[in-house]
Amino acid sequence: MRPAVVCLLLCLSPAALPQDAGIPRHPRELKFRPRPYTPPRAADHRHRLSSGATAFLVEDHDFPLIQVSLLVRAGDYLESSGKTGLAGLVGSQMRSGGTKTRPPAVFDEEAAFLAANINSGMGATQGQASLNCLSKEIDAGLELFVDMLRNPGFAEDRLKLARSQMLQGMERRNDSTASIEGREIARLMRGERHFSTALATKATVESITREDLAAFHAAYYFPANFALAVSGDFETRAMLAKLEKAFAGWQNRGEKIPPVPRPDHTPAPGVYLVDKKDVNQGRVRLGHLGVTRDNPDHLAIDIMNDILGGGGFTSRILSRVRSDEGLAYSAGSSFLPGVYYEGTFAVGFQSKSATVAQAIAIVLEEIDNIRNNRVTPEELATEVTQAVENLPRRFATAGARAALFADDWLTRRPEDYWARYSERMRALTPAEIQRVAQKYLHPEQLVILAVGHQDDIAKGNPDKPQYSMTKFGGGKPSLRIPLPDPLTMVYPKQ
Amino acid sequence: MKPILIVILMLIPLAAQNVPVQEFVLDNGMKFLLVPRRGSPAVATGWIARVGSVNERPGITGISHLFEHMMFKGTHVIGTKNIEEDLKLNLELDRVKSDLRKEEQELARRLRLGEIADVKDPKNRSARHQQLLAEIERLTKRQQELLVKSDFDRIYSSQGATNMNAGTDHDFTIYFINVPPNKLELWFWMESDRLANPVFREFYSERDVVHEERRLRTDSTPTGRYVEQFEAMFWKSSPYGWPVVGWPSDLEAITREDAVGYYALNYAPNNLTACLVGDFDPAEAMALAKKYFGRLQRSRQEPEPVRTVETPQTGEQRMVASADTNPEVRIRYHTVADGHIDEPALTVLTSLLNDRSGRLYKSLVLEQQVANAASSSQNGMKYEGYVELRGVAKPGKTPEQVEQALYKEIEKLQTEPAPPRELQKVKNQFAASRFRQLQSDFFLMFQLLIADGNRGWRVINTDPPLMQKVTAEDVQRVAKKYFTAEGKNVLVFYTKKKAGAGGAP
Repeated sequence: MRPAVVCLLLCLSPAALPQDAGIPRHPRELKFRPRPYTPPRAADHRHRLSSGATAFLVEDHDFPLIQVSLLVRAGDYLESSGKTGLAGLVGSQMRSGGTKTRPPAVFDEEAAFLAANINSGMGATQGQASLNCLSKEIDAGLELFVDMLRNPGFAEDRLKLARSQMLQGMERRNDSTASIEGREIARLMRGERHFSTALATKATVESITREDLAAFHAAYYFPANFALAVSGDFETRAMLAKLEKAFAGWQNRGEKIPPVPRPDHTPAPGVYLVDKKDVNQGRVRLGHLGVTRDNPDHLAIDIMNDILGGGGFTSRILSRVRSDEGLAYSAGSSFLPGVYYEGTFAVGFQSKSATVAQAIAIVLEEIDNIRNNRVTPEELATEVTQAVENLPRRFATAGARAALFADDWLTRRPEDYWARYSERMRALTPAEIQRVAQKYLHPEQLVILAVGHQDDIAKGNPDKPQYSMTKFGGGKPSLRIPLPDPLTMVYPKQ
Repeated sequence: MKPILIVILMLIPLAAQNVPVQEFVLDNGMKFLLVPRRGSPAVATGWIARVGSVNERPGITGISHLFEHMMFKGTHVIGTKNIEEDLKLNLELDRVKSDLRKEEQELARRLRLGEIADVKDPKNRSARHQQLLAEIERLTKRQQELLVKSDFDRIYSSQGATNMNAGTDHDFTIYFINVPPNKLELWFWMESDRLANPVFREFYSERDVVHEERRLRTDSTPTGRYVEQFEAMFWKSSPYGWPVVGWPSDLEAITREDAVGYYALNYAPNNLTACLVGDFDPAEAMALAKKYFGRLQRSRQEPEPVRTVETPQTGEQRMVASADTNPEVRIRYHTVADGHIDEPALTVLTSLLNDRSGRLYKSLVLEQQVANAASSSQNGMKYEGYVELRGVAKPGKTPEQVEQALYKEIEKLQTEPAPPRELQKVKNQFAASRFRQLQSDFFLMFQLLIADGNRGWRVINTDPPLMQKVTAEDVQRVAKKYFTAEGKNVLVFYTKKKAGAGGAP
């Protein structure tokens, strides 16, 4: 160390620092040019193909690349009960299992030589597939991509490999506290009968056959059930002609796709504990049910949550749990509205075993605080400005624009949503934030889940004996959740 | 199929697609890289300090990363209601902490001798120790009353800047944020202020935050501690052997004075490069750079390169561990640093092994059915580098069988030249991924800074053509040169048996 320098920094009073010519003393004195923004309209990019698919095309000639993304109305929710894991396997095996005329190795080799990235997958309520290739290879790339979508081969040996990989993955279900936490909070929120908490088991995976994959694919992969997002280095008219040709003659199915089922579960408030002896940090999630995206209050809820715990360093939970007390590296909340059914309000953090109770107490205080007191106009302005100024970034690239248009179309977001977004955000007031905090935050309904070394968590911090896990959950005793058998998902009786 | 045609067509646009960077250096040595892109919705901004954990020493491991956290704590103007009082409190806290360290050293001594079992147990503390803790709590409370919480972040956020963050690696520390195009001057104000007048307040609670980060990423994950041990075994003399986040004992001992000295040496403008990519006027940016960053003082001495070089390995090393993970093997060989003339061939070599159409998947996963996943990578850092090959054993197979299968693939690379079409396939992928990497403003800014943190930003344009020049003989030569019997380092994971109720059967 060089003491002279240390002293310079530690001892100089600010008055002695040189004043820099022309530099304002505080950033609030800076003046900025206004920069109005109008979001692009999906309707300007929307095309209906004669096959029935809806496509959003956005040109961008900066780089010689084309991205074609496909969204499918399908997902885990369409699996029958003995076949959990089927939808995900359809998604992955469309890419891995070759096509009717190209064995898997041939398909992989052709795609790799073209340097075309081709992917496919399926989530809870949406299937996705994508192609990214050099624009001069679009004909060959699109031919491969659509061959995968229309004529998947579902080769038996690749399915066998995928089963083996899935079973191997299942064995690891109880290893990390992060995966235990995610699984158990979902079960506490949604119950055990909802598709969103159904997990594949050894039995379901072994029962899934090639015929199951083919039948699922045939039922849901047809043009009228697709939204396409196409972006990059092409002329719109020429690209439309290519898409028309690629999808020509693909028959649609008559039946309507069933709606996504809502969960019928009411979470039971209280403290839930999962014991894991080999970690020195507890993972905590607490929450309750939330709202759907068509709730007229959802923007106010979004801003309220940003102030409470969703807005990063400026949010209250991170500020208190992390910077005031040093109790966690990450801490925050989310209040995501659901598209098809109620989303959830959730707070999550990780803290060393001894300070888990202290951090929970701080979070509960902050939930009460935002219900009982109005937020300051500055807090509100910070989050509203951030949301409004961030709007252009949602449409940053041609690919992002096309993808957002396609997703909005598939999930039926109102057409004028983005055009009215900024105006609706700016109309929010502190009173409005308090109203939604009182209406939508329910401390008495909170489910509190802590995964970690329960003896150490119960012991708490010897320097702060006032904090204890026994103080939460309204005095009700906490419930222990055992670890299930990872291959059958049967929970041992206690 | 038409391989030759594709080759030629792909090479033409490649040469034309150099990233147009405008570069200038201020009198104090700080470098700026500008890439204006009209129509971008924001300006991706960042700067890099050429310092990371490789520049640390035992006793202060983790300080680069802890310091990165301190750069968000504010300045003389940002983050406090009363700077005079705030600075006074910092000094008082340093004094009390220094007394406390003597108490902690005494507890550590008694622990070494087995006189006590736990340095954290309040029962073991002296009266003086307890008194100092109370004093710290009192001073911290007073300092918190002067704080303007998260002021640095709030000023940015309230102007619509997004994705503010920073990262520390072995070789560099990088700070970044996206700002609206009309508010670029805010970035110049904020970043030059935190470099010119930083105040490392809330130092000790932030040290605790970093320790929580270590628990999150290393201690409480199924394999974190094992991989850390493997790294420490792999590097014998090189400082790459300690974790970026630091050893736990150092995290509990680093002082604010350590951080102040570290800042003076490593955060001088002559050790920094800044980069802007997005919608802005370069002439205006240059004027703002002079006005704001021009006030930083060049350091009297340049930071020195790392002296300690990894000593050559003399024999195979193995680590065998039982963990909550699948049976797996990792094989590592020392290779070359980033930018070494052999690096393109090593990168091509690992690409031949990877992905769905690569050799490891075809051979180990599909044909031999010994592994369920396998991959490899060349990792070139500033001073050293290595190749790692990994494979997860298929149920019923052992990590040792996977290990032998990986050696077979290495042997094949050493004895047979790669067929032309296979080589061309990976070159085509490099050519296309080159465009993909340039698309995002943010990612481009990031890559330019990391390149400039080491060999200079121009390598972003000069490295890609080197991949296209690699021959089958080059690949064979580097396979023989670096994959030697005495240079093996092997990590074998077995799945730990579960004990007691509640676990898997």
